[in-house]
Amino acid sequence: LPGVIHHPLVSLQSSFKAKAFTEAFLKNSIQQPRRHDLQNMLSHKAVILGYGRPKKERRKSAKARGLNARQKRELKVFQINPEHQRYELFLPLHELWRQYIIDLCGGLKATSNPQVVQQKLLKADFHGAILTVVRSKCPSYVGTSGILVQEFKHVFKIITRDDKLKVIPKRNSVFAVEINGFVSHIYGSKFEYRASERAAKKFKLKGTIDL
Amino acid sequence: RVRNAERCARFATRSSTRVKHEGAVSTVQVSVLLPECSSAPSHLDSVLNNFSSFYLIKKLPVYELLDRHFLETAVYHGAVFGLSYRTRIDEDNCVALMPNGHLTLSLDKDSFEILGFEGKPSRFKHRTATRFVVSVDLTDSSMAPGRRSYLRLLTSLKSRLQLQTDFLLSHHPGGGASIQPLLSRCDWSQHRPEVNCRVLTNLPCPAPLSCDPHSFLEWLGAVDAGISCENSSSSFLSSFVCPEPNTMHRHALSVSVSGLLLPHDIHRLLQELRRYVEQPRLASWVSMTVRGFADSPVSCSNHEHGFLRGGENFYTLMMFHDHTYQLHLAMGAHDVCPP
Repeated sequence: LPGVIHHPLVSLQSSFKAKAFTEAFLKNSIQQPRRHDLQNMLSHKAVILGYGRPKKERRKSAKARGLNARQKRELKVFQINPEHQRYELFLPLHELWRQYIIDLCGGLKATSNPQVVQQKLLKADFHGAILTVVRSKCPSYVGTSGILVQEFKHVFKIITRDDKLKVIPKRNSVFAVEINGFVSHIYGSKFEYRASERAAKKFKLKGTIDL
Repeated sequence: RVRNAERCARFATRSSTRVKHEGAVSTVQVSVLLPECSSAPSHLDSVLNNFSSFYLIKKLPVYELLDRHFLETAVYHGAVFGLSYRTRIDEDNCVALMPNGHLTLSLDKDSFEILGFEGKPSRFKHRTATRFVVSVDLTDSSMAPGRRSYLRLLTSLKSRLQLQTDFLLSHHPGGGASIQPLLSRCDWSQHRPEVNCRVLTNLPCPAPLSCDPHSFLEWLGAVDAGISCENSSSSFLSSFVCPEPNTMHRHALSVSVSGLLLPHDIHRLLQELRRYVEQPRLASWVSMTVRGFADSPVSCSNHEHGFLRGGENFYTLMMFHDHTYQLHLAMGAHDVCPP
């Protein structure tokens, strides 16, 4: 093959062009690492820092919300199964209640003042007491007697000796509670509060206690 | 309503050969007026003196009336009749036992609430009920001894409301033995009905068919009470006048029997009076007034009876020569009129 014709002018020009072309081509085709980009690095740049206080994560409230009435009813915690409805099973509860009342009234001797005992009883809890209906506007309630199982705002649920669960409305009835010879008559119409609310309630004599 | 305290309910003239006496009223007094008669004829006298006696029991506990033996021997045969004595119908608790086996208790509000047996509020008090009536049919099968309602009533009367009243008790003839056990347990005394005879002279009597029934009844009551209808001018002017037209009778006999009287005794008296009036006499009529207790819880045919201004419930029977009779029936304001 004939050798490359070295023309002095053409080869000079073309080596310049070739060099420039080659550099430009290489620059475009090869990725430049950022570190080597000195121009970029040395130019003034402002970096904006965030206003950072480490945020505390809000803790979940430690106590549970509680169930509303519908959920409670669904759970059926307050219903007693028929096989558990036996009078004998509630007698220990009654004993517990008696001890509680005796402690509450400070002994309950024969010489205790009935007024004081009555005042204490107003704030006491009656779950486990033996209640008897003494007077009532409805004659069929009179005479029912049993251990109080649940006290609601308007009714008493008692279990009688015949293992029957009876629901007796408080209104228009007079109940008798007996401890150690003290018989206390409770006028149900004035007693229509939840047991928990009654502890803080001040009782005033309003209206008539006639049924 | 308050103005019209007494209602004369019925005035009927009927002709019949048989007068039926409704035997369910508790009687305290019978008065008979025989015009133109100076002394009681012997038959009448014997009838009047043979009224059956009755017993007064002091402080009878009412649950004794539910005693099994007493029920079986006396009440079921319809032989007993009793009423509480000296208990006011509008204040105290009243008890009545009828021959048909109905026991009626008329209680005030507190006693009813303590007793705890089914009852109804009284018909005569409106709005707030202050009086209650417990009416029990002892012959009903649900009240047989041993049944639940019987036991409930018994425990109520024994332990809850210990009801005790003085009691007047009477029995039909032949039933005397059945109430002896009950009497032996209590403090009792026997009484005879009291008979009072009066001869009245110069009595102006109205002709019965020709005057207004109200005024005739008033005149009859005046004669019975011994009020003179002369209307003479004195410091007190009475408004009781003998209704016109009237005739003057020389004599008249007024007899009254008081006590707990049985229906069949009154029936006998009625028959006797009818026989008397049928015979030809100067006067053509005879009147008999039967009065009930003012404080009885029941008046005739088991209706409720109350006391507003007066507890009258009585009827007057006028019998005539020609087999006709007139019936005047009077009730107080707190009464139910029988049909």
